[in-house]
Amino acid sequence: MSEEEIILPSIASGVKSLTVNDRPMHEFGYNPSLGPHSNEITESSLNILLNRKTISLTPTSTHSIYDRNILGTKKHELSISSLSFLFGEVVSWSHRSSKGIQDLENRLNGLGYKIGQRTLELVKLRERFKNTKREIRLVEMLQFIHSTLWKALFGESANELERSQDINNEYMITDNCPLMAKFINIPKDYGNLNCSALTAGIIEGALDSAGFYAHVSAHSVPTDYMPQRTVFLIKVEEEVLIREDLRGGPMN
Amino acid sequence: MASYYFTIIGTLDRPLYELEFASFKNPTAQGVPGKSQFSASVKEILPFIANSSLDVVEDAQWNSNQFHLGKIDAFFGLQVNGYITQGNIKFLLCYETPTNANLALHAKQDDTTLKQFFNEVNDLYVKCLLNPFYSVNDAITSPDFDLRVKLIVRKYL
Amino acid sequence: MKVYAIYILNKAGGLIYQNDINPGLNKLSANDYLVLAGTIHGVHAIASKLKPTEFEPSSKPFGGEKEIPIESSATFSSSISVRDSTINNDVVNGRWNNPNTNNTGLRSIETDLFNVYVFQSLTGIKFILITSPNPIVHNVASLNLKINKGELNRQFDLAKEIFHNIYVTYSDYVMKDPFYSLEMPIKNNLFDSKIRELAK
Repeated sequence: MSEEEIILPSIASGVKSLTVNDRPMHEFGYNPSLGPHSNEITESSLNILLNRKTISLTPTSTHSIYDRNILGTKKHELSISSLSFLFGEVVSWSHRSSKGIQDLENRLNGLGYKIGQRTLELVKLRERFKNTKREIRLVEMLQFIHSTLWKALFGESANELERSQDINNEYMITDNCPLMAKFINIPKDYGNLNCSALTAGIIEGALDSAGFYAHVSAHSVPTDYMPQRTVFLIKVEEEVLIREDLRGGPMN
Repeated sequence: MASYYFTIIGTLDRPLYELEFASFKNPTAQGVPGKSQFSASVKEILPFIANSSLDVVEDAQWNSNQFHLGKIDAFFGLQVNGYITQGNIKFLLCYETPTNANLALHAKQDDTTLKQFFNEVNDLYVKCLLNPFYSVNDAITSPDFDLRVKLIVRKYL
Repeated sequence: MKVYAIYILNKAGGLIYQNDINPGLNKLSANDYLVLAGTIHGVHAIASKLKPTEFEPSSKPFGGEKEIPIESSATFSSSISVRDSTINNDVVNGRWNNPNTNNTGLRSIETDLFNVYVFQSLTGIKFILITSPNPIVHNVASLNLKINKGELNRQFDLAKEIFHNIYVTYSDYVMKDPFYSLEMPIKNNLFDSKIRELAK
């Protein structure tokens, strides 16, 4: 056998990656180093499949999320206090390890990005009963984020969705009272930091993974009655607009 | 007893999950039911066939607003069915063109059964994605996931 | 009742928040405010050790407070109400008390010119309210004690309600702010505007 390193098709970035020598437990589990050979159906795994024997493949098998229904339309409510304390801790944790205000915003954005990727798939899956459409146009995708995704995350849709007058690749979503940063006061020496950068990250993650590559940032635009009013500025990449033009252009 | 090759392909065109299996319906006496009957030479090129159909998938991605894209490609007697999630993850199913005898059966199967199959896999994929230790484009190594996919396979194909 | 000012003291008696909401009080120097805060803090601590040797539950006006008339000074007469820390009168008179409060020590100082109310949270944060005086205290006090008590109670309950609202606002806008460090001065525009709304 050659000593050369084997090029793996896909490596898990998780706790540990599997090697060629790792054999799946009970003949279940895909190993990217081995390919489809790793999880092919054998006598013993077939036996389990046919008899629907309950087996414990992982320590969490008995309460596995795979057995739970995630399509539930029931509203799950969370105390705003616990959310605020958790988010406050997230902010100060990021703050402690950040080099500056821009870095802190980037970190929050990065945390939100992963949430966005996940929520997009989850919300779209849950919406399947009402709407079986996949979002393929930019404006519709933004409307989906503005209403459906926002409702799933924050209980109500965002306040406004507008297109920039001057620059044609900029869109804006406005939230008059962003839920996550409701109780956060930005000290004067923190400049234009906005903790809703996390929410901006969620939007960016959702847009990116749906193929609408964009950069999203959060900006405070307070009014007298709404001191926390935040505008999420969405800068869409040029290639998305080109695609929109090729494929029939924006819907309106 | 048709053989199938199912793969989940991430946004970076890498396979995240693969599975070879055979239909559980009308098992023949020989061999383990469910075990794929692809010949060695076909087995080798299956990932290439799946990946080569990605161009077609990406074209259809922006033309159709359906999740299930239907039959998108055929390659030397192997047909490819595609499904794409909102998050740009592709599910591909390659299978041998059925012989004339059960052609009618397959035509019917195509639309409804495959759609249901893909929908359920999508459900499983989202559950997998909700795991904080899993990030987009990681290989899905969970034995639990594998077991559930195989159960869905048994149920529909 | 008009609220002149709201102060917040930390555990150690340091002034961490000051908001002169309505004009009506003479301005003191910054140092004097700190002294005032420290003094109230000290009196509060001593008052919590003060307790009557005789205990008659039926004669208590509200809660376990004992009215201690103080000799009229040259400028104004005053009375101080003190809460006894060791006697639990809530059981005796069945009066409901907010469990989130630390009910010992000084609770109010009433003078002809202003009233001071003190509320201490469980963690030792003190909220201090300086308000306009009871309107009829010195007029009716000699004639009819009963009306006097009702008026006292009314204003006291009003102050209690304000304290409750301030406490809620404090817990929301100060404690949930990741940029605030405990025991430090509160510089928070959001909190300021909420407090101003409260006092209207």
